Amino acid sequence: MNLWKEFTKGLIVENPIFRLALSLCPALAVTSNVYNALGMGLTVMFVITCNNISVSFFRNVIHPKVRVPVMVISIATIVTVAMLVLEAFLPVLFKELGIYLSLVVVFAIILARAEVFAAKNKVIPAMMDGLGMGAGFTIGMVTIGGIREVIGNGSFFGYQLLGGWYHPPLVVILAPGGFIVIGFIIGVLNLSEKRKKEKLERAAATAGGNV
Amino acid sequence: MAHSEHNDNSMFKITLNLTLAALLSGVIIAIVYYFTAPIAEIQRVRMKEQSMKELVPEATSFTPIEGKEEWYKAEKDGELAAYILHASEKGFDGHVKLFVGVTLDQKLIGYKVLSHKETPGLGDQAFKPKFADQFKGKGYQQLELVKIQEEGKITAITGATITSRAVTNGIKNALIELEKYLNESK
Repeated sequence: MNLWKEFTKGLIVENPIFRLALSLCPALAVTSNVYNALGMGLTVMFVITCNNISVSFFRNVIHPKVRVPVMVISIATIVTVAMLVLEAFLPVLFKELGIYLSLVVVFAIILARAEVFAAKNKVIPAMMDGLGMGAGFTIGMVTIGGIREVIGNGSFFGYQLLGGWYHPPLVVILAPGGFIVIGFIIGVLNLSEKRKKEKLERAAATAGGNV
Repeated sequence: MAHSEHNDNSMFKITLNLTLAALLSGVIIAIVYYFTAPIAEIQRVRMKEQSMKELVPEATSFTPIEGKEEWYKAEKDGELAAYILHASEKGFDGHVKLFVGVTLDQKLIGYKVLSHKETPGLGDQAFKPKFADQFKGKGYQQLELVKIQEEGKITAITGATITSRAVTNGIKNALIELEKYLNESK
């Protein structure tokens, strides 16, 4: 169904981090371990879905000239609510994510989905788009976080995988490591896409040659 | 408030639109805050008490020390068992805030981090047992940070010297202050 497509497109084909290359800042900043990456991913998923719903719901009421400020107000409200709830019920995670949480307001991906999708679509598709994009963002964050934590700290989700003999390269945990890991992942994805395209072309060429 | 295409651009309508959006947002936040604020406060107190309990497990109550911010006496059945000091020192990024447990003869029991912004996976190793255990039983005279392991001294974490120094100095200053305070009140 179409709704399902709205959801799945965010996972890989239009993955916010690897494909749309939006919101790379948090992808660098909070992915030095899996736990933080997952927490941030789920928070963004919540915010982007709520915001898509709210923008889509009010899309006929919002004046086009002030649509961006109104969207930002909507995002800011949702983020503040998310922060208050996290502080009250998950104080440990709240402490870990710290200042990055308030930065969620200015994440490009959230405003981008509101402007590109939610403002032009009905509530349900907008919600699916938000869920998909949020899930894609979370997958991206966890992938980067997982790679960085295993290589840079020898552990995964806090469990020590590699013993004392392993001396992790510190650079992977620090900011440059984020750039390097994201670069490699985007590279691998592009390469596999190129291969796929070449295969299709070759298949087309041989088919054409028979004529 | 559905708008028509004709007199859509009047300043009044645009302003009203923004105002209503902001008003609605304010109301929502106020309502949520009303419900979550008391819970958050309880959580904060509970987390603080928990870190104090971890430092001095045998203590039954904690009473604030007068004239000192965030200093506590850990008492066991009404008798003084240990001191808990609040230490703050500039780290790699912002301040590192600690609770430091001290015995009656001013030796360290240990410390717990309250808040910090050190590098995850690197600086935050200073709050893990491997580094923290070095402090146990030491007085401030023995708190000297070295980069290469030396008997009786604190060995810094490779790649996180600044954080190691912040923790060591923060604790040292708190201990010196405690001695001064105890001498004064004698």
